[in-house]
Amino acid sequence: MAELKTFKGGIHPPYNKELASGKAIKEAPVPREVVIPLQQHIGAPCEPLVSEGDRVELGQKIGEAQAFVSAPVHSSVAGTVKAITEVANFTGAKVKSVVIEADPSQPEFSKKPGKDLEALTAEEIREIAKEAGLVGMGGAAFPTHVKLSPPADKPVDTVIINACECEPFLTCDHRLMLERTDDLVAGARLLKAAVGASKVIFGVEANKMDAADALRSRASSYPDVEVEILEVKYPEGAEKMLIFALTGRKVPPGKLPSEVGCLVQNVGTALALYEAAAWGKPLYERVLTVTGPGVREPANLMARIGTPIATLIEACGGFVGNPVKLIMGGPMTGWAQPDTSAAVVKGTSGVVVLTSDVVDLGEEGECVRCGKCVDACPMFLSPNFIVQAAKRGQWDKAEMWGALDCFECGCCSYECPAYIPHVDYVRKAKAEIAALKKK
Amino acid sequence: MALDNLVVTPPPHLKSKEQTAIAMRDVLIALAPISIAALVAFTYNALFNMAVCVGSAMFFEWAVRKMRKKKVTLSDGSAAVTGLLLALLLPAKIHWLNMIIASFVAVVIAKELLGGLGRNLFNPALFGFVFIWIGSGFLASWTGHLGFLPGGFDGVQAATPLAYLKQGLEGPVPSYAALLFANYGGAISEVGCFWVLLGGGYLLYRKVINWVIPTTILATVFILAYILGSDGLYQILAGGVMLGAFFMATDWVTSPINRWGQVVFGLIIGILIVLIRVYGAPSGAVAYSILIGNAFVPLLDKVFKPKRFGEVVAA
Repeated sequence: MAELKTFKGGIHPPYNKELASGKAIKEAPVPREVVIPLQQHIGAPCEPLVSEGDRVELGQKIGEAQAFVSAPVHSSVAGTVKAITEVANFTGAKVKSVVIEADPSQPEFSKKPGKDLEALTAEEIREIAKEAGLVGMGGAAFPTHVKLSPPADKPVDTVIINACECEPFLTCDHRLMLERTDDLVAGARLLKAAVGASKVIFGVEANKMDAADALRSRASSYPDVEVEILEVKYPEGAEKMLIFALTGRKVPPGKLPSEVGCLVQNVGTALALYEAAAWGKPLYERVLTVTGPGVREPANLMARIGTPIATLIEACGGFVGNPVKLIMGGPMTGWAQPDTSAAVVKGTSGVVVLTSDVVDLGEEGECVRCGKCVDACPMFLSPNFIVQAAKRGQWDKAEMWGALDCFECGCCSYECPAYIPHVDYVRKAKAEIAALKKK
Repeated sequence: MALDNLVVTPPPHLKSKEQTAIAMRDVLIALAPISIAALVAFTYNALFNMAVCVGSAMFFEWAVRKMRKKKVTLSDGSAAVTGLLLALLLPAKIHWLNMIIASFVAVVIAKELLGGLGRNLFNPALFGFVFIWIGSGFLASWTGHLGFLPGGFDGVQAATPLAYLKQGLEGPVPSYAALLFANYGGAISEVGCFWVLLGGGYLLYRKVINWVIPTTILATVFILAYILGSDGLYQILAGGVMLGAFFMATDWVTSPINRWGQVVFGLIIGILIVLIRVYGAPSGAVAYSILIGNAFVPLLDKVFKPKRFGEVVAA
């Protein structure tokens, strides 16, 4: 058997995808109240377009982007604006948010008359992405229209659809590939058209062969769409790793994929672009996976932006066992929650509940230089030395050992026999280095 | 539903089964074959030495951590490993006070004062061993040992295998097979390097160590010995090369962290072992070589810093 495409380094955590991978996507209940942050993306926050007491319709734009690197936000329900106030988001940061009380009965989204997708120009597609408030839905939430505007001197020839879903437990992209194959391929081709690339490659991990087969049978009608199978390894779906695995190109440190003629977009984003272009649907809901040993009935849910975790858990039969970690996002990069109040945002790929029998909360010990973090690091950094420098406040050394190149996949901490939270130290180092550079 | 137990920590929220304590336990398991062989060969002498070394190493670790008001880390097993390695390096017949001094130097000075847990520069067991070796002059008792020896010796005096080679002593030179399986004098661990290899294999299998350092050392010694007109196979089977290559040069804390650094580290140690053995003293070469290799580790870590993903080499 030929070796599957992959990158060097990385880890093989237990995936536990079977908890939810067989569950068809279903609608999550619309909560009584949604909390829609005016900043759900990397970039500038939006200015609210509504005020307290206003009526809002489903899909109505309620926050306008004030900068290029930003994305507007839309109401995910029909209802009444109850308040515009600062609310803690899933990271714990206070973000100005629009709180909307949902009408007891919610309308169906009415699709706009279809456009001829093949006839759309690159400029039009970017505008659609921008108006629909699209951001990267894999977790980073970078505004899509910005990604679709690569510098003129860096032409993009290859669009890569990140269909790895390499985070353990999560299965929502897998379900989308199975249930929305045609729309997804159409969305991917829109991305291709937006940057004038010559082909689209779907990178699918080998644990989703049914999805790969579905995509392949659809892609066979388009010569410009390829489907590649990748080794099941974390973080296969990391932008730089994925580009390398599929094309052999290496994005240099501190550079963007356009440097090597690539654009990477997540499955959910490609689909959202299709819905925005074909139906005029803004990004006000998304598919996410609610799963883990602490959830009674794991599921893949189509949930409105602004839905609190509590509503999702309830829709999945509630908690079971002794939950000790409630994670917004995947278990490798997601944010642990102190309670169930945080609201779904555009970048929320899942809610994972881990119980005491699977969580290993070891006490941080001294580094014993075993080198497992160095072997695991897909960026070929030295996590141990970054931590050592950070502990001593030697920020220049932390930078020398690669702190700024770290994308926080967490492979180092996963492997560390001394339970060192490298990612935490790296985040500190990044903030300190940035502060020093400002001076 | 009670959610009182929710814990908020930074990601990742999954953890491999790797634990320092499990790795140390694996090292102890890997040392079992050679320790048992030593016990069979030297019976209560070996048992006494192991008990004194392990006991004192653990005591000193506990005491020094307490005194410095730091968390006592006995449970990770590293002190026990240091003690056992020290015992294995020493001859059967050695005054108990010597062992306690060696143990003190290993744990308190080499480990705790020269860097502290995880940052000590030198392999503690080797440091303690070399100190007592130079300091106490127990060489007088090096070749004689008590205990119930399997065949060939009168139980009082015997030359080490390397002394045979070095000094061209009269009498039957031990065969390769004997070096692999039997007891021919020296440290209590020199009772057949097959047992060391067995443990080394276990460490490789458990991924506690990787093959780079042991392979480089053994290959370097083997080849360089032949080049210098010595019996390369004999050189890697005799003395402490095997124990050093698998159990001491691979010590996480005191070996380089990157592959190419490990290769150079192995080369340094291998070359020094042969040079010392061929041109210098017939014993102690492995200990000296590894300690000198240890001193190069910070430099090797820096020189062989991995090139970042996508980093372009400056033209």
